[in-house]
Amino acid sequence: MPGMLMDGGGAIVPFSGEPGHAVAAAPPVRNIRHGVAPPISRVYVSFSSGNLLQVACLRPPNPEGGGDRGAEEVSGGRVVEVNLGGGGSGPGGADAEEIDEAEMRRIEYGSVPAFALLQSRKNALVDGSGMSRLPSVSEHAEWWQYVLEYSKTIGSLLGNPDSLSAYMIDDPKMILKVKEKPTSLKAAWELLEIFFVDKQLQTWLPERLVDWLADYDSLLTKTENTIYRTLINFQKKLINLQVVEDDPDYWSGLSAALSVGWLDIVVNMLRFHGSYQLDQMDSRETENGLVEAVAVLVSTMPRMRPDLPSGKLGQCCKTRSDFIKALEKWRGQVSKLECSAFWIQCGHQKTRDGLKSLLHIMLGNIKNLTASTSHWLELFASHLLYIRPFTVGFEGMHQLAQKCIQLKPSADNSRLTGLLTGILSENTEVVLAECTKNFGPWMVTHAMELLTADNDYADMMLHEERPNFGGISIEELHRLVYAQVLCSHALTWQIAPTYLSSCLNQGLGLLEILLLKQPIQDNRVVLKTLEICRLYELENVSTNIMKIAGIYHWKHGRKGTGVYWFQQANDKVRLDRIAQQLFEHIGKSVTDDSFKQWEGLLELLGSDIGSAGGLEFLHRYRDFKRSLQMAQEGRTGESVRQTVEFLIQLMRNPSTPQRFWLPLLHDSVRLLNCKPCPLLNVAETTLLLNKLQELSLAKLRPDFSNIHLPSHALNSVRLALASNLARSILEEP
Amino acid sequence: MAERQVAELGAGAACVGWNHCGRRLAAGAVDGFVSVYDSQSQPSPSSKWQAHEHAILNIVWLPPDYGDAIACVCADGTLSLWEEVTAYSDGQVKVYELLDSLELDKWQLQAEFQNITDPVSRSGKPACTSASIAWSPRRGESQQASFAIGFNSDSPNFNSCKIWEFEEAHQRWLPLVELGSPQDKGDIVHAVAWAPNIGRPYEIIAVATCKGIAIWHIGLSAESDGSLSTENVAVLSGHDGEVLQLEWDMGGMTLASTGGDGMVKLWQANLNGVWHEQAVLDCNVSH
Repeated sequence: MPGMLMDGGGAIVPFSGEPGHAVAAAPPVRNIRHGVAPPISRVYVSFSSGNLLQVACLRPPNPEGGGDRGAEEVSGGRVVEVNLGGGGSGPGGADAEEIDEAEMRRIEYGSVPAFALLQSRKNALVDGSGMSRLPSVSEHAEWWQYVLEYSKTIGSLLGNPDSLSAYMIDDPKMILKVKEKPTSLKAAWELLEIFFVDKQLQTWLPERLVDWLADYDSLLTKTENTIYRTLINFQKKLINLQVVEDDPDYWSGLSAALSVGWLDIVVNMLRFHGSYQLDQMDSRETENGLVEAVAVLVSTMPRMRPDLPSGKLGQCCKTRSDFIKALEKWRGQVSKLECSAFWIQCGHQKTRDGLKSLLHIMLGNIKNLTASTSHWLELFASHLLYIRPFTVGFEGMHQLAQKCIQLKPSADNSRLTGLLTGILSENTEVVLAECTKNFGPWMVTHAMELLTADNDYADMMLHEERPNFGGISIEELHRLVYAQVLCSHALTWQIAPTYLSSCLNQGLGLLEILLLKQPIQDNRVVLKTLEICRLYELENVSTNIMKIAGIYHWKHGRKGTGVYWFQQANDKVRLDRIAQQLFEHIGKSVTDDSFKQWEGLLELLGSDIGSAGGLEFLHRYRDFKRSLQMAQEGRTGESVRQTVEFLIQLMRNPSTPQRFWLPLLHDSVRLLNCKPCPLLNVAETTLLLNKLQELSLAKLRPDFSNIHLPSHALNSVRLALASNLARSILEEP
Repeated sequence: MAERQVAELGAGAACVGWNHCGRRLAAGAVDGFVSVYDSQSQPSPSSKWQAHEHAILNIVWLPPDYGDAIACVCADGTLSLWEEVTAYSDGQVKVYELLDSLELDKWQLQAEFQNITDPVSRSGKPACTSASIAWSPRRGESQQASFAIGFNSDSPNFNSCKIWEFEEAHQRWLPLVELGSPQDKGDIVHAVAWAPNIGRPYEIIAVATCKGIAIWHIGLSAESDGSLSTENVAVLSGHDGEVLQLEWDMGGMTLASTGGDGMVKLWQANLNGVWHEQAVLDCNVSH
């Protein structure tokens, strides 16, 4: 459960930046709302599954009071269940607003197949290469493609916030339109994918970041200003504006949108300009021409990227040389317009200044870029677009980010900016710490695959086995932590085994405990548990569960179900004990017709319990009884012969208890006497007589228990056998 | 963190115990009544009966291998027939074994010994207020049964927490190790908890004494001289007053402790192996 708790959650992260920090900080205190009137005399706790802690708060017992009080009985205390892991939505705090429990559960379930597929591919690669060490996986050419596929699958689970293209305009006066609220979880996932997995797009990293910002600008800060917020505010204002170009917010909005490359929005907004109105055309022809010229330049801005979604503005350049050529040409056009003589003829001062500012942004004027952006990350994106489009690699980006942070310091550091700075500083520990602290166990567990996809250091750091944690790696630790979160809910424990089975050292140990903790009262849970045991070849666990289920049902009066489970568990000890009980029962009333009562149970016990000696005897005994009944009713030769065979078998078998010898023989007396010809041959009769002799001797011993048989039983058997012997001697050749 | 009420205890509730999966709860009361709650369904007890004439001091569920069964210890010194291990006030340890799991009324005293390793001092009967036992959460049949026990008595020899293991060959219990540094050995033991081991090369046992909660690592394989290595990795202090209960989570990663101060404290080790207080649940505020 490490890492699950509230603010102190980062404790298990190997972040050594602040030594002793986690220890020194006071642990968070939570009041348990149990509703019991104070004082509390005693608290009991018990962990059930995963991070669920049951807390019993007891009041001081008062032996004198209470009972006599009658109807108004005072409560003795209350038991509450506390989920220490924050329920299904792993990330604590702010994320609860973004993603509710049911949605988080959908994500948890949805990510299982992708995770399992990636693990099996990893295992296949390791097996195929004949190497046992995991780090070799990342050296396989196809590995990062597998990881990318995994990343895309998980990413799509997290939702599809509208990208820049969806800021498109149905209502011409609508600047921003967001169909689906973006989540920080998705934003963080994409960041990791951009920087750690997607090798193909590495040369286009700046543009990917620009796209990312377009999707998630609204999440950068809760309290400070962003371009998104600027535009939203202007949108609200727009309805009441008569002459937009007179409003400074119009121009600042335009500059802001252009500085981070939201070209569609810029062009759309430019068309709000008053000079486009038909009644103005004549008098403001030049002004309108300038506005349109800027709009054209904006819509043809060269972008170095693999593709542009259809309908998006800009000029797509796939290679560096194409881009340089296009950029030079475009910059030339921008400069030419900037120096044009038409500006003098433009009578509207604010239009002139606003448009010029846009041109300066396009030319990469640092002053203009700094002025038009709000957040440091926006400034960062504008640098990537207009000043350093060829920035690749972490080092350059990190320096640039530091510069932007200096220029636009932010007091409200969001989870995303923290993550991004961690990524850019190439500090895997920080990235991991940010993920743990802000996005919870689900994120850490699944993001680990991204971090290690193509990073030897991260690979080593996350897979190194640490003695401090009982010899497991950080990766395994986080999987165990996540599995515990899954175990904490009745709807998600079933997917925990997937993650536990991916842990090399301690996963199966925890899985065994998890399975043994499942309630056996619910038959569906038992079946599910056994299915998981089968899947992971945990035979001893399933045997245990079956034994426990057997005992439970046996004790609750469902003898048949109990016996069924004991048989499944191959529990010879208990089956023998049950057979013993049956013996005692049958032994008391063996000659009665109570035969039927235990016959059903015997049927349930089945016939394939060869080794359970007692049961084997009971089965033979049942067969004998049945056959005897048939023989006495129908007296067909066949059934008589069969009965005698059973009798001989029973008497020969060493597992037949001695105390049953006499009842068996006594039962057969009638049969032996009524047949004209002898039923037993000499050898058989001699065997039975010997047994009878043995019994007579045993009878003298004090521990001999005589079953409820008539006192003459022994003699009548002896007589019947003697006459049978006589006849068979005569008949034998 | 979310809270959910699972049971409303009747008046005079004195002790509670959960079954192996934590979904059933038994409460013993000062009037000798036992109530069982099926916490998943309703907050009121599903059954209730008078088990003893006097107050019930402790209530424990038997391992699920024996069905749903409860053992109660009563203030008059009696215990319901199904108590598996008990420690008597004369400092003796008595181990009972169940002869037949289908019939819980057949128990026999399997062994009786004192919690001391030095035979010379085996004299006199110490006055003992309580004992704490933690059975090893065994995995698999091959491992021998063992438990850790410590006392709260007036005799330092009895107090110190020791691990006993059953030796099959000679059918007897042998002391494996003593958990305590020389200067702490006589400390009164309030609670003991043996962590589930999901694959560590060592066992973890938490022992609460008057000096705090000590976390012990006990090596699984014997050293060259045949003894087991023990290491006291942490002594945690935090409760104002006596520690009353220690409880491990299912992975053996988090330790929960309760104290006379009405607090529940959660303890974890960080990646450097340093134990620290992870969170506090305060039960003294009712709203």
